Amino acid sequence: MAAPVSIRGVSRRFGESLALMPTSLEIAAGEFVALIGPSGCGKTTLLRIVADLQSPSAGEVRIGDDTAGQARRKRLLGLVSQRPAVLPWKTAAADVAFTQRVAGRVGYPAAGLLREFGLGGHEGKRPAELSGGMLQRVNIASAIAHDPAVLLMDEPFSALDEMKREEMGIWFDRELARRPKTVLFVTHHIDEAVLLADRLVVFSPAPGRVLDVIRVPVPRPRDPGFRRDPRFLETAAHVRRLLFGAEAVA
Amino acid sequence: MSGAEAVAAPAEARPRRESPWRAAGGPLLRVLLPMGSILGLWYLAILTSGLPAFVIPRPERVLETLVEDRAFMAFHLLSTLKVALLGLIAANVAGVGLAVLFDSLPFTRSLLMPAAITLRNVPYVALVSVLMLAIGDTTGSKVAVVALAGFFPVLVNTMQGLRAADEVLLDRMRILNAGWWETFRSVRLPFAVPPIVAAQQIAGTSSIIVAISAEWMISSEGLGYVINRAMQTYRGDQVYAVALIATGLSLVVYALVQRLGHWFDWRR
Repeated sequence: MAAPVSIRGVSRRFGESLALMPTSLEIAAGEFVALIGPSGCGKTTLLRIVADLQSPSAGEVRIGDDTAGQARRKRLLGLVSQRPAVLPWKTAAADVAFTQRVAGRVGYPAAGLLREFGLGGHEGKRPAELSGGMLQRVNIASAIAHDPAVLLMDEPFSALDEMKREEMGIWFDRELARRPKTVLFVTHHIDEAVLLADRLVVFSPAPGRVLDVIRVPVPRPRDPGFRRDPRFLETAAHVRRLLFGAEAVA
Repeated sequence: MSGAEAVAAPAEARPRRESPWRAAGGPLLRVLLPMGSILGLWYLAILTSGLPAFVIPRPERVLETLVEDRAFMAFHLLSTLKVALLGLIAANVAGVGLAVLFDSLPFTRSLLMPAAITLRNVPYVALVSVLMLAIGDTTGSKVAVVALAGFFPVLVNTMQGLRAADEVLLDRMRILNAGWWETFRSVRLPFAVPPIVAAQQIAGTSSIIVAISAEWMISSEGLGYVINRAMQTYRGDQVYAVALIATGLSLVVYALVQRLGHWFDWRR
């Protein structure tokens, strides 16, 4: 299940300061869009507005035919945050089942989902017994267990070390091919964004403004060797130029 | 005694080391050492103070009293236990209930918290007197005093615990459109349980002492009443016996709460 997302003139102020300039973005069903920019540029704010966890100061969000609020109430959204939102007292299997019970919908049966996430044999373990990478996979499994149409991810791999992070990215890319979702992915990691996304939305420093929207010219899922592909390098360089200026890349 | 301490110290410093002597001797020493010191000081006081035996009886006399008056003591002990337990339950119902109310309807907090703090700081003696005048010497009046003395730590800890729920988990519940009750019972309450149990270490042990104090003032039953009667009949041994029972009881309550805390603590 995947649904298109339409962001129409969404802006947000906090008191006197403007956190996010009016932003519009059309995201197709099943598309993977990375929001990238420096800290405080409003990318997380935009994600939380789409998630209906924050309201916009102006503009509106549509998910399919629904507003963000309607989509949330229909449990069409999934959220993955940097810190795993797993219940410390529940086993991996119980945590996944918990999502399904609260959502009132079994999207993907827990046992199969965990097995395909490489967590076979660890279903009965609690968060304290799992490694960082495994825990984040449980977190993602729990976030998509009710088969949401849109997956909202806020720096999901940034707590992992560099090697684990790349491994997780490649794994997640494959996983999405099996279970298509519209993904909004906040990151400040350029390579990760280029590796995973169909399109990159590059934000300026605060108040956040869209500098450019860049399409990655290779379809997903991508081969791990894509990182050495000239198209990968050129896209990443383009993003660096936008974020840090021309001299940073030279 | 310094020799005994020298043996006890390494057992504390390296608790993980497996040694049958330490495994058996450690806990034993932890009990024997304070008991030995108390007995030593007790005898020292008898020898040096020159006070009469009805003011400071010998420890063996107190033990004799405990055995001889066991039926009498047991009857009053049960009465005190009933007051303490009912008071503790009432303290928890009030403390947890108010904390949930304050948390879900924040305006009630500014409305009622000053009253809670005032109640907390009224001297128990005054409370007992007022309750005595209002409802007389009943179980209810003593239970009310215990509850009033115990509800505040439960209230404060529960409020803190309800706020301790991880923000990412609350976001997860919001994104799943979970209702208030679902979020409360699945996320916020489990986070509040360890601090609620910790509050019992204060409320539970003080419930015994407050129950005895209330009985001392107004009752014709319970360990407090036994102290009162013993004072009037120059039975210092009975006063000491009650003190021993009360101390033992507080330790038992403390140990029970610790066990309970371990049982309910999801962090273990």
